[in-house]
Amino acid sequence: MAYLYDLLHGDKRRKPLPPKKKEELPFMREGISYKEWHDRAKGRHTWRNRRWMFLIFINILFVISFTFDLGILEGSLSGSRLLGLYLMDPFNSLQELTIAGTHNYIPHLTTNFWTGFLTILVFYWIVGGRAFCSWVCPYHFFAELGEKVHDYWIKKRKIKEKTYDITVKYVFWIGFILLALLTGELVFENLNPVGILSRAIIYGPGLALLWVILLLSYEVFGVKRFWCRYVCPIGVTYSFVGDLSPINIKFELDKCGHCRDCQDVCLVPHELWFVKRGAATREVHYTGGDCTKCGLCIDVCPGNALSYGIRDSDKIFGK
Amino acid sequence: MGKNDAKLNRRQFLKASAAAVVSLAAVGSVAYWLKDKSDMRSRGLLRPPGAINEDEFLFACIKCGLCVQICPVRAIKLADWDAGLSYGTPYIDADVQACDFSCDSIQCAETCPTAALNFQVFKKAGEEAVTELYAKYNNKLPADVNPFKVQIHAMKRVYHLGIAKVDPEKCLAYHGKGYEGPLTKHRAKLRPPGKDERVHTDEIHVKREMCDLCAVYCPLGEDAIVMEKTGEGRMLPKILEGCVGCGVCEMVCPTEPKAIVIEPAEL
Repeated sequence: MAYLYDLLHGDKRRKPLPPKKKEELPFMREGISYKEWHDRAKGRHTWRNRRWMFLIFINILFVISFTFDLGILEGSLSGSRLLGLYLMDPFNSLQELTIAGTHNYIPHLTTNFWTGFLTILVFYWIVGGRAFCSWVCPYHFFAELGEKVHDYWIKKRKIKEKTYDITVKYVFWIGFILLALLTGELVFENLNPVGILSRAIIYGPGLALLWVILLLSYEVFGVKRFWCRYVCPIGVTYSFVGDLSPINIKFELDKCGHCRDCQDVCLVPHELWFVKRGAATREVHYTGGDCTKCGLCIDVCPGNALSYGIRDSDKIFGK
Repeated sequence: MGKNDAKLNRRQFLKASAAAVVSLAAVGSVAYWLKDKSDMRSRGLLRPPGAINEDEFLFACIKCGLCVQICPVRAIKLADWDAGLSYGTPYIDADVQACDFSCDSIQCAETCPTAALNFQVFKKAGEEAVTELYAKYNNKLPADVNPFKVQIHAMKRVYHLGIAKVDPEKCLAYHGKGYEGPLTKHRAKLRPPGKDERVHTDEIHVKREMCDLCAVYCPLGEDAIVMEKTGEGRMLPKILEGCVGCGVCEMVCPTEPKAIVIEPAEL
């Protein structure tokens, strides 16, 4: 238990390490200017390109499986079958389980339901919870493009940056579960842009896309990444799973120059709290459950202080 | 983090939470309101085979579309937002493509991960029929009896989507008229009764002195529909108890609007 607690909260509660002295910063050690060091990562998009290719591949696989009747990846992101193995959206499944307690519903929790639900949980526990968001979710893809437009508007000073308290997503998560319980229906699924987009891509567009467009335009002209950051209960469910994931973004303090570019590109900058000068409490840190493992920070880091890593692998296997 | 920061954070959180609760309440009220307004049975959504009670259907169905994909004739579609809370749930538009009975095992129900389309009903009926068959022949089946066919036949007898209704005023046969032309104007798939292969309906040219397409193409034949003489040179299809509401009659009916339509079952 102590290990689990330490894993989740321990690092933040520890006393910070003393801030690096100027000569300890990576560019000073190499004897180059900050600008020269900082320009190294300019225009690097390795992980973003890999991720976008994977995301598009998965979503296209759904489409061609249906169009050509291949049977490789059937269904949609609400529930699917990969070569015969069922996969279920975890938040959908949680709602079903909640309803199951109040209605005479147990017979509907079929073997396929349980295989799908548990497979998804185990798989995303391994690859890091919200990895679903950045590597699979089609809404994330469009929101990422929208974010670029949003940043442009901000830069042009047409709109002002606005943020909310990020904890509000838990309120939404509990709220949507309660709504399912009270109405006995999957209310969230009618508003779920992931499901709507996925179905629109596979089965053809419908009126429901208007909702997705509305959400996207609010993200572009209003609040940056509004849905993903503050509302989406699917992401929250995955973040619970990802809290204890072995695969994570690894941070090495001695390579960090504290430019904090990573926090600028990050969807959930609070997960990179340790990059601020004098904030890190260990030499090596790992991101937590909210991290989508998108790899934008890895691309942007001039000192290569960030990388994909296995949590506490240094403790287990040695450095 | 200073004391004031903590206070500010708490205020920010409370503000955001209040907004969240208000929007959730709004969504909830709309859901409740729609629940009363949009009685899908009266809107006439024809559910795929094995669909459970409509109220339960809305929480059992996760809108994944696996049933859409597995249907060999692509009869199932997902409803759009105009269907209210039924958004994303499957239905059959028999007018365009009916459930033509040509599948091997009612896969749409079999594949449903949450049993919103409940396969158990079919499974039970199929197993009972096979047991009966073996008992009949004392566990020694003759070579010409295919237990698989008996099983699927029994399974399809228990499925019930709705029942066909005839409007005599629109019916060609009731006015003593025949029909010549393609079976349907649009492309749809159908396995004609007694045949093993599916055909494209728009490629079939039919010529009837007296229109009786609904009765000719009914997969259940004389169990479900017969042409009844109503006068000199006039006939009218009569729906019998065997009708399960598959919708083939609606699909092949040449009139516009259709003289024979499926009334979805009260689930």
